[in-house]
Amino acid sequence: MNFQLSVSLVIAGLFAASVLAWLLTKLNKALGAWVTVVASAAALTMMALLHGEIGSTVNLFFLQFTLTEYGWFFSVIMLAVFACVSFFNIYWMPKLIHPAAYNMLYLLALTGTLGAFSARDFITLFIFWELIVWASMFIIPFGKSRKASVTYYAFSAFGSLSMLYGILFLYHKFGSFEISSVLQQAAGDPTAAIVAFVTIGIAGLIKLGVFPFHIWLPQAHGNAPEPFSPILSGGLVKAGGFAAFLIVAVMPSYKAFSTNIEFLGRQLTMPLPNYALAILGAVSIVVGTLMAISQNDFKKLIAYSSVANAGYIIIGLAMAGGLSTGGALMHIFAHAIASAAAFLAAAAVVHRTGTTKMNELGGLIHRMPLTYLVYLIAIISMAGIPPMAGFISKWMLFQSMMGRGMAFIAAAAFFGSIGSFLYVFRPLSAVFLGQLSTKHRYVKEAPPLMMFPMILLSLASVVFGVFPNWVLRIISQVQTSVGLEGLTLEGTKIIASNGAIDPTLIVIIFGLGFLIAMIIFLRFPKSRKVPLMDQYTASEFIWTPELLHYATDFYAPFERLYQKAPRTETLYRTIVHKVSELGAFASYAFYSFKPGTVLLWVAIVVVAMLGGSVL
Amino acid sequence: MNMNQVFLGTLTGLIILVFAFFWQTTLSGVTRKIVARFHKRYGPKFYQEFRDIFKLLTKTGISHGWVYNFGVMMALGGIMGTAMFMPVMQFAAFPGLDNIFIYVYLFAVGMLGMAMSAVGSGNPLAGIGVMRALTQMVGYEVPFMVVVLAMVYGHGTASVSELAAVQQTAGLATWNIVKMPIGTLVGFICLLGMLGKKPFETFIAPAEIASGPMVEYGGKQLGMLMLLHEFSIFIEVSLFVNLFLGGAVTVVGYAIKYVGVFVLASLISQALGRFKIDQVIKYFYRWPIALALVQALIVIFLGWGV
Repeated sequence: MNFQLSVSLVIAGLFAASVLAWLLTKLNKALGAWVTVVASAAALTMMALLHGEIGSTVNLFFLQFTLTEYGWFFSVIMLAVFACVSFFNIYWMPKLIHPAAYNMLYLLALTGTLGAFSARDFITLFIFWELIVWASMFIIPFGKSRKASVTYYAFSAFGSLSMLYGILFLYHKFGSFEISSVLQQAAGDPTAAIVAFVTIGIAGLIKLGVFPFHIWLPQAHGNAPEPFSPILSGGLVKAGGFAAFLIVAVMPSYKAFSTNIEFLGRQLTMPLPNYALAILGAVSIVVGTLMAISQNDFKKLIAYSSVANAGYIIIGLAMAGGLSTGGALMHIFAHAIASAAAFLAAAAVVHRTGTTKMNELGGLIHRMPLTYLVYLIAIISMAGIPPMAGFISKWMLFQSMMGRGMAFIAAAAFFGSIGSFLYVFRPLSAVFLGQLSTKHRYVKEAPPLMMFPMILLSLASVVFGVFPNWVLRIISQVQTSVGLEGLTLEGTKIIASNGAIDPTLIVIIFGLGFLIAMIIFLRFPKSRKVPLMDQYTASEFIWTPELLHYATDFYAPFERLYQKAPRTETLYRTIVHKVSELGAFASYAFYSFKPGTVLLWVAIVVVAMLGGSVL
Repeated sequence: MNMNQVFLGTLTGLIILVFAFFWQTTLSGVTRKIVARFHKRYGPKFYQEFRDIFKLLTKTGISHGWVYNFGVMMALGGIMGTAMFMPVMQFAAFPGLDNIFIYVYLFAVGMLGMAMSAVGSGNPLAGIGVMRALTQMVGYEVPFMVVVLAMVYGHGTASVSELAAVQQTAGLATWNIVKMPIGTLVGFICLLGMLGKKPFETFIAPAEIASGPMVEYGGKQLGMLMLLHEFSIFIEVSLFVNLFLGGAVTVVGYAIKYVGVFVLASLISQALGRFKIDQVIKYFYRWPIALALVQALIVIFLGWGV
């Protein structure tokens, strides 16, 4: 038998593994969880090997797959996140109500993403897209809330239907389902282009959790089982980035829409639909940042930060230039590994303490120092501070915004960037630093199998922050493969038209600075170690650590400034209210047992029939 | 970039670092003296800051655990790294690679290290101080970056040494203070915020939260934080001089600009009271951000100041 490695083989294998995981979990819970580890790691290895196969088409029954540069890029990020997170499944088996179903759905979600990213035609894309939605919809209620799943499904269904409409519209117009050729043709037809842009765009924006579709994200991420939150934030959400990439880059939006629009004597820097996308991104950044700052739940905070980061991704993609798309793709990568690591650190904390409420925690650095370091590295990357991967992507995005003079969108992005210092610091301060609560005095460090993926993700953040060009070369290939300008990379330097940085050099100089600081520190007399409760308290006598821990309402003065601002949730609640009112009216009018109403309808029907026959 | 350039650049960076230490620490002492004269006091000797730093470094202090120490090293390391990138007159360690974002984000490494160490001490006053410092940062950084955006868009480069060089082509007329007066005003207000001068002194507020982040420090840790303070003043003032006052070509020009900006900021501080933290945010999100956007629109749409 000719055994050749191909995408369809990987997908079929993952599908088989998901069934196997279900069966084995029934026998032994740990064994089933190990299947998810092995299967996702094996799939990652195979996809990495498949880089040479880009461009080839393979079939699996009626499903067709073509591996593209961008599909490969997204798949590898996704698989890396899945593979790292799967280690946590082992520890969560006793905590879940249906461990067998969880393991199966976990692998099915992975199959779904892989299939969607390597789909050749829209039907395959849609089938696998739905697989992602359904698999994750059933996993989310394993956590804290069933309602979260309903919200998630309501949004996803809207996105899927919108995409389906777009797919059928394009089929009607061009008579083909093939993604690349249809999107290329659509670029030449303004109506088709705008329909594809809006319908597929909505599906992408919903998955990414961009304003105004962001409210499902904190609910789903915050309530999903702890090992699945990093999958949602680091992995599945990025599928939305994939959909957005399809409509702005694979369908060349600059060709499809006119840029020849003058505004106050200055030509617009990008087409109007792209502008709309970028504005939504800017609003998401501001809304996500403000909401993240005011959260007390560790996981909800990271979830809202994903909303803000989705904003950067969408702005970068909307600009559709060489540097900006590169920045967006790099941000997808950097944020995937950083937010997965942050969520995993949160999961480790939950595993040991059983709570995600930040004001109940504190001082865990003295008990879980490695988890602290993982979280620290993750937030440095999320805040866009060197020497982490997140800095590179933010620099690229800011540099391209400055180059185009997009003052208002950039102001929102700057706000989000500085605002991220606030929200990422809050868990650091409230959960890990400060006073150790008495009830957590005997908490242990996370078990080694949990540490392993967390350390791996942290190393990735650091390594690709110091040597980003390893990833950027691949990203550059992705860009040229869809006809965008590539990136200018020179050794360790990244060169933009209006500035350059050398990340490796920054790290060398920072390292030198740190070395000098360390020498100064070690050169002078050793400090006397004092217990944590030995504090300056302005002559108050306080003996309970909880009273000396500043964690509740951390940013209260800042929050007060926007407490009364209108919330998107109110808008949706109003819509829900109106729909249910309409339903109530319909049921009152049509499904009534009141004799008067029944008589009225009988009379109307009779009159209509008579009237019809007379005319 | 080959090894030779890296080595020479690093050497230049180290020289700039040493210069920054002596220059800014002396100047801080001199400014203390000037401020004292305004208060009708005699004031300390001009080298008092040196005395303070070295005294603290040699004292035996306390430590609240490893993050308390590590944070201080990370903070000083980050700030010294940032200072090494700063162009002084025509001397720049890595011309072209001293991107403006390095000063914003590498500086943030230092700030994060300090915040980490301060909260790691376990004192709630430190936590409150850090919360205020971060909140204030949201205030001043956004208007400042919008002005920088206008500047980068206008001059087509984000390298600080190149931005300074652009302004040196035809004397005073090419300085950004002349070409972008609104932006310079915003920049100066933001500089006051960065320096933590009154009215933006909320996060230190000695009488209210016992010096905020610094509450638990003593001994060499406090000495290192004083060093850090001098370096961060050097970075902030130099950035203003390079971005708005056309850098400097001669030693005299450099001294006049730098001393002028720093002494002015210190004197303004003496005349004002302290804002509450929500007042800081409200203030920055009223006038400075509006003026910054106006400046950006003037540059982008009218092409003035390019």
